[in-house]
Amino acid sequence: MSAVLEPQGKGAAEGAAAAPAEYPPQFNPEFLEATRRLEHEWRAKFDAVARKFGVDPAAYQRRTDSGLPVKPAYFPHDVANGRYDMLTAPGVYPFTRGLYPAQYQFMYWANQPVIGYGLPEDTRKRMDYLERQGMTGYFGNTFYNLVYDLVSHEGLDPDHPAAEGRVGQCGMAVYSVEDNARLFDGLALDRINVIHISYYEVLPVLAHYLAYARRRGVPWSKLGGNSMSWYYQSAYVGMTCFPPKGGMDLAVELVNFCTREMPRWNTVNIFGYGMEEAGATAVQEVAFSVAAGIDYARACVASGLAPDRFLSRFGFQISQSNDFFEEICKIRALRRLWARKCHALGARDPKSMHVRIHTHTAGSVLTAQQPLNNLIRTTLHAFGAALSGTQAMEVSSFDEALAIPTEHAHTMALRIQQIIQEESGITRVADPLGGSYYVEALTDQIEAAAERIFDAVEARGGYHKCHDFVRSSIEESAARWRDQVDAKERIVVGMNKYESAEVQDIEIFRVDPESERIAVERVRGLRARRDAKRWEAAMAALDAAAGRFAGGEIGVLMPAMIEAADADATTGELMGVLKKRVGWGSPY
Amino acid sequence: MTDRIIRVLLGKTTMECHDRGVRYLATKLRDAGMEVVFINFLEPREIIDVAVDEDVDVIGISSSVEGHIPVAREVMRRLRERAMEDVLVVFGGVIPERDIGPMKEMGVREVFGPGSSAEAFIGFLRANVRERHFAAE
Repeated sequence: MSAVLEPQGKGAAEGAAAAPAEYPPQFNPEFLEATRRLEHEWRAKFDAVARKFGVDPAAYQRRTDSGLPVKPAYFPHDVANGRYDMLTAPGVYPFTRGLYPAQYQFMYWANQPVIGYGLPEDTRKRMDYLERQGMTGYFGNTFYNLVYDLVSHEGLDPDHPAAEGRVGQCGMAVYSVEDNARLFDGLALDRINVIHISYYEVLPVLAHYLAYARRRGVPWSKLGGNSMSWYYQSAYVGMTCFPPKGGMDLAVELVNFCTREMPRWNTVNIFGYGMEEAGATAVQEVAFSVAAGIDYARACVASGLAPDRFLSRFGFQISQSNDFFEEICKIRALRRLWARKCHALGARDPKSMHVRIHTHTAGSVLTAQQPLNNLIRTTLHAFGAALSGTQAMEVSSFDEALAIPTEHAHTMALRIQQIIQEESGITRVADPLGGSYYVEALTDQIEAAAERIFDAVEARGGYHKCHDFVRSSIEESAARWRDQVDAKERIVVGMNKYESAEVQDIEIFRVDPESERIAVERVRGLRARRDAKRWEAAMAALDAAAGRFAGGEIGVLMPAMIEAADADATTGELMGVLKKRVGWGSPY
Repeated sequence: MTDRIIRVLLGKTTMECHDRGVRYLATKLRDAGMEVVFINFLEPREIIDVAVDEDVDVIGISSSVEGHIPVAREVMRRLRERAMEDVLVVFGGVIPERDIGPMKEMGVREVFGPGSSAEAFIGFLRANVRERHFAAE
């Protein structure tokens, strides 16, 4: 590691204890002496060029988007101190080079475009359409990455006054077991994977799905998919149904339930994407993701679960943004840091130390101006994610900054993945960038910088104890980014440079305004039609269970919630109980 | 054009996670010497309650995921009800082009789309904010 770079933190040293094997030095001393001489000669040439461009070589220092200093070129000695036990092989601890020995050679990453708008039938139409376009998950199964609307996110029903104009917008209008039937009837639940993108209504949404599966006669143990458990997001976005500790407790309840009943289910998703979208740098995204994940993992351990029983069901949703190499190295550093921290927590099964990544290409750097440019941006993002070894991908549609995607935009986003998978040839070799002096040096640098922030969070008592620190750190980065854009220190093509008066005339998607009326009718009809006595009893039982949960008892809440869901309680009703017992703000 | 301290209420619905822009704007307005109140609201009536309590000159609402039309309609209706039409109402975020005309007809004075600069926003407020009937301090 060169002196120009940030000093290597204790990160690398600490990990040594966890390393399974020792390796001899990567290069012999005479070789390194030669490369240092070579760098010296090269530097003289570089300095001469810099002076020709009027740049003082002594003052010259480029930085990544996170602000990490980089050298103008890298050499073998820059990675000679980076230790091979931290690099190893693809599929070997600490997984810097990827989770699996073969990476994409026998199976590509899963296509997971986010889908969800209008009534459940509308969303189903788009699901079926994309499936016909070749959207593929693992082992030929289809993954449906479904987003609920904001009304559901807030734990309301569509006839709540605050829901007006928001039903089925930016997500699907699904509020009951009946709506699940409209969404999933005809699909083999044990052969698909369903990602339920929800915010605070995680338990109600899963309860609806499980009650629906039971009506269909599909055992819960055969269901595959994800619950997001993004409660810790309240640190960096203004959505606040539950206080930090209450949210974490709800996540622990879900982990306990799924560990018992649903071994295939992914219980917690670490939403680094949301952090970077809110303005976090790549380094902060790594740091806060690991900090949030470890905080939740500790809470699960405290509830009586051994790390190897639940950690393998934690997943990550990570952003892939503009700084091409930093974003790739970020993924590699994240894998290593997470593996080390999980090992320190007591995990020993490799799967318990895996960062399984769902890439979401960055939406915040896409522009409303010249929207077709976004196709080029997202292609670069997706390409970087593929090189870094992601497990699944959502590519933002080119109309991201304008509306939810049209069918055409959705298809183009899928084609970007398919072209990289089938045409570019990069899937031929596992970790194709492994060993690049620059990539390995920057990976080390990001890990060390992220670990310093991680330590700062831990010193404050862990993630859920320092939402204000997380928030202000991210907000400072967001402000810096915007100031740079306004000062044109950061170029956004088509927005602050190469602007054009010509308007690219693209189709803007619009949700059928009738869907709101229909959703309201449906939920009112359901309330009138359902067995009122059964519903009342189930809701009373849920309220009692939520009271016990609020008193610290784990394991009673989720079963009661499934029974209430099966008695046709709606999202607003189920969430109302949680808000009353665990949350702040008004219940439904 | 005014040089006095302008009081601004910025808000977005609690349902929405897209608050990077509006929170950035809050710091920029503060740096420009304005007093800023920021809220997450569930129902539009909360905006008016805070606007009255805080005696603001400007209401700025951020919306990036639809629902802006009912909010604009309700905010304007309640301002009229309280004879507070001199409060400057502006929107920002992702608002489809087709909705801007109807919103302006309701009384929304300007809509700032993606990529708008904080400077332009501040300039607009200074140029269009009401004259105070009495000294603010």
